[in-house]
Amino acid sequence: MRGLYLLLQTAMAATEPALEHAPPHGEGARDVAAILMHHVLDQPFLGFRSKHLVFFVFAGVLVIMISRLAIRSYKKGRVPSGIGAFVESLVLLIRDEMAEKNIGHGDGAKWTPLLCSFFFFILVAALLGLMPLSATPTSNLAVTMALATVSFLAQQWAGISKYGAVHHFRSIVPPGLPWPLLPIMIPVEIISMFTKPFALMIRLFANMLAGHMVITTLLLLIPLGAAVTTALGVSMIPVALGISLFIMMLEVLVAFIQAYIFTLLTSIFIGMYAHPAH
Amino acid sequence: MDPKAIAYFAAGIGAGLTMIGAAAGIGRLAAAAMEGIARQPNAAGDIRGSMIVAAGLIEGATFFALIVTIVLAFK
Repeated sequence: MRGLYLLLQTAMAATEPALEHAPPHGEGARDVAAILMHHVLDQPFLGFRSKHLVFFVFAGVLVIMISRLAIRSYKKGRVPSGIGAFVESLVLLIRDEMAEKNIGHGDGAKWTPLLCSFFFFILVAALLGLMPLSATPTSNLAVTMALATVSFLAQQWAGISKYGAVHHFRSIVPPGLPWPLLPIMIPVEIISMFTKPFALMIRLFANMLAGHMVITTLLLLIPLGAAVTTALGVSMIPVALGISLFIMMLEVLVAFIQAYIFTLLTSIFIGMYAHPAH
Repeated sequence: MDPKAIAYFAAGIGAGLTMIGAAAGIGRLAAAAMEGIARQPNAAGDIRGSMIVAAGLIEGATFFALIVTIVLAFK
């Protein structure tokens, strides 16, 4: 619970500077850039300071609710039905394909809850952003930074809890390495320890942001066309709506893929630190 | 030249180069995956999974460049 509270505080503190730069609602088709940025950046929402934060909390609550519903469908028997079956298939995918394969047979089940949290949260957050009047929390750099930080801490904890802090940091470089290589290997390994969560953060952020920017840009074709002639604007409506629908379907697929990749890479990195092969 | 004009110009070129890199990389990946599936159809599931993971990683690298381009375009 405390971890969740710290996460919320970090996200809130980090979204604050972005809010001052959000431009007011731009009018006129000439102000395309302002309208675009206004729709993909953070805005105040319903009295709260940050729309992304509201939907961040909402996505978390949804994940908890879905999990509760899934657990409840087990009451009738050993075989779940409905949403329980869907959740169970995904959890089994995470446990068998990611946790057990990458982290090892004993530890895999121990790390599965964290990986499931990542997967379901990123999935629900991305799908939530496709609804009207909502925003994708993971398209905010602060939110993905929080997720990547938790992933980073999980990787370090995986090594430290198994081997102790000193041995964990000493096992960063492969043993049996000729000593002239050490001054090169140690900085490289330490930097790679930080680049991995950084790449996770940027990958998720950019995927979510790019999707929304494409949709908003395509929908902005309508007022742009209408600025030339009204007939052109009206004729743009089916075109823009059609392409936007297609891109939104692609976004659903991208949501699944990005959630899967984030969880898979986290499990690989945890496995790297829990079982240093070298 | 106005620095803003150069920034827009650079953003345009950057976006194009990013697209070339991403499409070339993922195109090669898809070709290799298709060939692998053609050789051994019962490995299709494994190959498809690995293909999607690799595509995600390549796209991740692409988006680094894309973020730089977008920052330039909105300067």
